[in-house]
Amino acid sequence: MAATLETIETLEQATGKYKYGFVTDIESDKAPKGLNEDIIRFISAKKDEPEWMLEWRLKAFAVWQKMDSPDWAKLDIPPIDYQDAYYYAAPKTSDGPASLDEVDPELLRTYEKLGIPISEQKLLAGVVAVDAVFDSVSVATTFRDELAKAGVIFCPISEAIREYPELIKTYMGSVVPVADNYFSALNAAVFTDGSFVYIPKGVRCPMELSTYFRINEQNTGQFERTLIIAEDSSYVSYLEGCTAPQRDENQLHAAVVELVAMQDAEIKYSTVQNWYPGDENGKGGIYNFVTKRGACRGDRSKISWTQVETGSAITWKYPSCILQGKDSVGEFYSVALTNNFQQADTGTKMIHIGEGSRSTIISKGISAGRSQNCYRGLVRIQPGAENARNFTQCDSLLVGDRCGAHTVPYIVSRNPSAKIEHEATTSRISEDQLFYCLQRGISEEDAVSLIVNGFCKEVMKELPMEFAVEAQKLIGISLEGSVG
Amino acid sequence: MTPLLEIKDLHASVGDTPILKGINLTINHGEIHAIMGPNGSGKSTMSYVLSGRDGYEVTGGDVLMNGQSILEMEADERARAGMFLAFQYPVELPGVAGMSFLRAAVNARRLDKGEDEID
Repeated sequence: MAATLETIETLEQATGKYKYGFVTDIESDKAPKGLNEDIIRFISAKKDEPEWMLEWRLKAFAVWQKMDSPDWAKLDIPPIDYQDAYYYAAPKTSDGPASLDEVDPELLRTYEKLGIPISEQKLLAGVVAVDAVFDSVSVATTFRDELAKAGVIFCPISEAIREYPELIKTYMGSVVPVADNYFSALNAAVFTDGSFVYIPKGVRCPMELSTYFRINEQNTGQFERTLIIAEDSSYVSYLEGCTAPQRDENQLHAAVVELVAMQDAEIKYSTVQNWYPGDENGKGGIYNFVTKRGACRGDRSKISWTQVETGSAITWKYPSCILQGKDSVGEFYSVALTNNFQQADTGTKMIHIGEGSRSTIISKGISAGRSQNCYRGLVRIQPGAENARNFTQCDSLLVGDRCGAHTVPYIVSRNPSAKIEHEATTSRISEDQLFYCLQRGISEEDAVSLIVNGFCKEVMKELPMEFAVEAQKLIGISLEGSVG
Repeated sequence: MTPLLEIKDLHASVGDTPILKGINLTINHGEIHAIMGPNGSGKSTMSYVLSGRDGYEVTGGDVLMNGQSILEMEADERARAGMFLAFQYPVELPGVAGMSFLRAAVNARRLDKGEDEID
């Protein structure tokens, strides 16, 4: 009897109300392994979600169960056992290393190479240090005040579900419907956290928003769900990711990102992804299966995606733009680097619906080691998209002779006034180029980094400054051991 | 005074083809020497062998810079030690600005000498 009472009390403390009849141990750090309705209720209860959100999740789960995993990509994916995973894990707070001395020296070496300041290193390594935590709390608090003054909402999505239900109900699932694909359905059922951003009319967000500064006390980034809404004439630049390698025992990361840009609004979304790529023999590593889509709903709206993907064992994502508004603009700038046994099948979709809509695609694929890198893009011009324009440039660079680069561009035009341009190049780092650098005193490793960064320049210059500098170093590090 | 450059009985081949068959040359500090010869006589080969380009095999002899043998050194090490090859057909590095390249080269030398990099 006493045991049951205890459980109920703990439940109430954890969730605020005793909702469901199940007796799973909510106070524990992890939900039990496996994926079923109970686990979804568990997650929803943990997040103190309203009833309608749970219903949405359960419907998504039902949809997912009827779907099959897609296998059309140029990827070799070992079968995933969806029951052999934890779909909720509490934040890691008290189990971290006490100081940087206890952290894997390899990790620290990488942090140093990337030029990450010590306080940030501590935070990234999960070091329980009072000064680091204090710093980030005070910094984040200052940001929140400034944002609040401008009327900008920037909070975890779990908070938004509770505080801004109308916005969530209106926009979540409106750009990436639940049934869009296997992984979006899965995400809709079990998403854990993510960012919610709302920029009111006419507001230019006073600073760049970054996942680092959103205090994510949950830190369960396995199934992230992010939603950004930019009202008329607003602007926001959002940075996602981290140059530090994120080791995580969760193997599958199936995130969903939805962007909505109204009339004359602009959203700039930058990603630097360096998830654990597996070891030199291709063992282990994160699967990064992501659905990202932006809807340029309003006339003259603009959405730019910039990504630098260097990590993950398998990267599978197509950040896309639906160009509904007249004269709307979509942009995609990407560097996808694969080394050792990594695989990538990535690209974008630009769907032109509005008259005068324009899109630019610049994709730089770098393959090294024994990796396989595939660009897959779609440019689709719908019948009503009078005078639409697209420019696509996809370049591949092969480092060494054991890797592969592939391009799968789709162009579908249903309007004869459309102007579509496509250029593609495939190249290697020539011996002449390497020798020239060597002869000027530059080491082979630095030479490869210099040449590759030159190759990626057009994309790098689209990244916000801080990210660009780190991303350049990251590319150098990711290519280590690729030559010779 | 140690000669700046000493080439001693240098033999080198490309694959199975011998090209340099016993070159001897001593260059002292401050001297300028011009090597002349008909096409295919091995002038470019000699430059490449001295600078350490891949694809050339030294089959005999030695090369000393300031009294130190350089044949075991990689191309970039030799470059930092003072070997400079002006290219007949300059190489272009797409996307790499002239300043970036110069900075990289200068910093490579500075680091080698234990100095700080410059921005």
